[in-house]
Amino acid sequence: MTAHLSPSGIAGRFKAHFDLNNQEFSIAGSVRPQTIDELAPSLALLKESIESVRGVLYVNVRRLAQMNNTAFHAFARVIIDACRVRPDLRFVVVTSSVVGWTTRKFGRLSKIEPGITVEEYDSEFYPGQSFLEEGGFIPILRTQTKMTWRHERSILPRHGMRPGIVMADICCGIGDFAVLAQKEFEPSRIVALDHSKSSLAYARKVASEFDITGIEYTYGDASEMLLDDDQFDLVTCRHSLQIFNRPAQILKELFRICKPGGRVYITNEKNSHCLGEPRAESIRWTYNEVAKLFEHFDMDVELGPKSRRYLADAGFDDIRVESFMVTNLDGDPKDFADMIAAWEEVYAGDMAAKRGDSGEFIKQFRQGFKDHISAALHPKGYAGWPIWAASGQKPL
Amino acid sequence: MPTKDANAEPSFRTMIQVDMEIASFLSNWAHCDYISSYLARTISHNRPDSVLFSNLFSSALNELLEVTFRTRHSGGALECRLSRLGETDRIELTFACSREEHTFLEAAVARVQGADRQARYLSSLSGDVAPSRDMMLLELTVNYNATLRLEEVDDDMVKIVVDLPLGGLAN
Ligand SMILES: C[S@@+](CC[C@H](N)C(=O)[O-])C[C@H]1O[C@@H](n2cnc3c(N)ncnc32)[C@H](O)[C@@H]1O
Repeated sequence: MTAHLSPSGIAGRFKAHFDLNNQEFSIAGSVRPQTIDELAPSLALLKESIESVRGVLYVNVRRLAQMNNTAFHAFARVIIDACRVRPDLRFVVVTSSVVGWTTRKFGRLSKIEPGITVEEYDSEFYPGQSFLEEGGFIPILRTQTKMTWRHERSILPRHGMRPGIVMADICCGIGDFAVLAQKEFEPSRIVALDHSKSSLAYARKVASEFDITGIEYTYGDASEMLLDDDQFDLVTCRHSLQIFNRPAQILKELFRICKPGGRVYITNEKNSHCLGEPRAESIRWTYNEVAKLFEHFDMDVELGPKSRRYLADAGFDDIRVESFMVTNLDGDPKDFADMIAAWEEVYAGDMAAKRGDSGEFIKQFRQGFKDHISAALHPKGYAGWPIWAASGQKPL
Repeated sequence: MPTKDANAEPSFRTMIQVDMEIASFLSNWAHCDYISSYLARTISHNRPDSVLFSNLFSSALNELLEVTFRTRHSGGALECRLSRLGETDRIELTFACSREEHTFLEAAVARVQGADRQARYLSSLSGDVAPSRDMMLLELTVNYNATLRLEEVDDDMVKIVVDLPLGGLAN
């Protein structure tokens, strides 16, 4: 059941919805009516929801960006009244830490009626969050970005990067890409968003130490961003679709914030195609296992070549896909080796342990990484890490 | 131009100012929303978390504009100026209003900063009647830690000055 608002200028800026299965009433968008008459359908829906649930009603305001006091008071009244006539009923208001005001403001309601509680919901993290965040991965992200940048700086102009544009880097990590893009291409504005507070803190620290201004580091959830529709000429999302269990949903959000005529640029891997000489077999075996390991945790690190399909399914036109190989010959082979060593530590360490792998498996699993490192450092060796870069245009 | 305070307050730097005829402001309720969203976005760029800041600032400014919208005016212009000092952003709204309205606003500004503001806020929230302008101003002090004051510019002009300490916020 959904109630859309109709009258006047605030029309369509918010949506109310009731889901009986989950006993959840949700309201999203910006709700700033002049009078409560404008809210009548949504208030009626809330009352109906209250009547049709037992025990608890979840009130989901995670995507409620704005609500003026006129509206807040009207919704609060309905809930407070219900508490008084239905002592059997509890209300759980689910807020998001991304929206600054909701937790505090809805929290006041529990002072009035103890039957109302507020839970701040910090998005279900993507499945591997803890591995990557706690695994000391930050220095590795730096090294990775340094290595991919050598290729991407020449690739990006084919995907919509040019001076003066307004761009967003979603899932920016520690923000290196945004810094490099700013230096090289001088966009007029960069918003860099991530859901890791520690990465953002790091990014802000780097920016202030190096006196970098103009990058807006922003906390947010890529699957439901507070950013407005149709804002950016270029939206980049690097190495991240592959770690979400629902990449299509993220892509939908990237599409939404992109301007019509603008482009969304994504990079992803196909881990099983990492390669090296000598000891190609051992290396190949290990990276095949890497792909399976991620799959076990609901992540698809084989996504790279599927980019075209994902972009097409999300509604993009003029899709461009290319691939490049980061190798030990690109720069200092030591950087390549360091990156592999960090992968080994996380994949054959925390992740394999979490899956419950045997010692014997882990030993062989590690060997492939070690062979990849040797290949990188070998005077006649070659080691590679393939990446797919793809973009599509949002139709005008 | 409004006259400046005599006391040696460190100076706020003006970032943006919007002037419009009261009549055209009042012609459409959605102006409150447009102006607050637009201005919030415009001044958010160099805050640590621009999106979070813009979201909060827009909420606060919108309440203030709605209060202004609901005030009985006597024509003239509405001036909305935003300025900044460190982590504080200042909103100054200047407009003409009747003597009664002036008195009302003065009393309201004092009430919402009383020690009992939390309790007042909760009781107006649980009250039956639609939210009063008091509650909208209370919101600013209770939920945004704002400080408010009213300045008389000249005979029939008032200026509401609101300081919002939101600048340092980041997740
Ligand atoms: C593999 S890293 C890639 C980082 C960066 N783009 C790079 O190439 O170095 C994935 C990033 O996605 C971020 N992330 C995970 N879940 C997210 C979410 N729901 N919203 C926004 N960012 C998220 C993580 O914090 C992490 O920084």
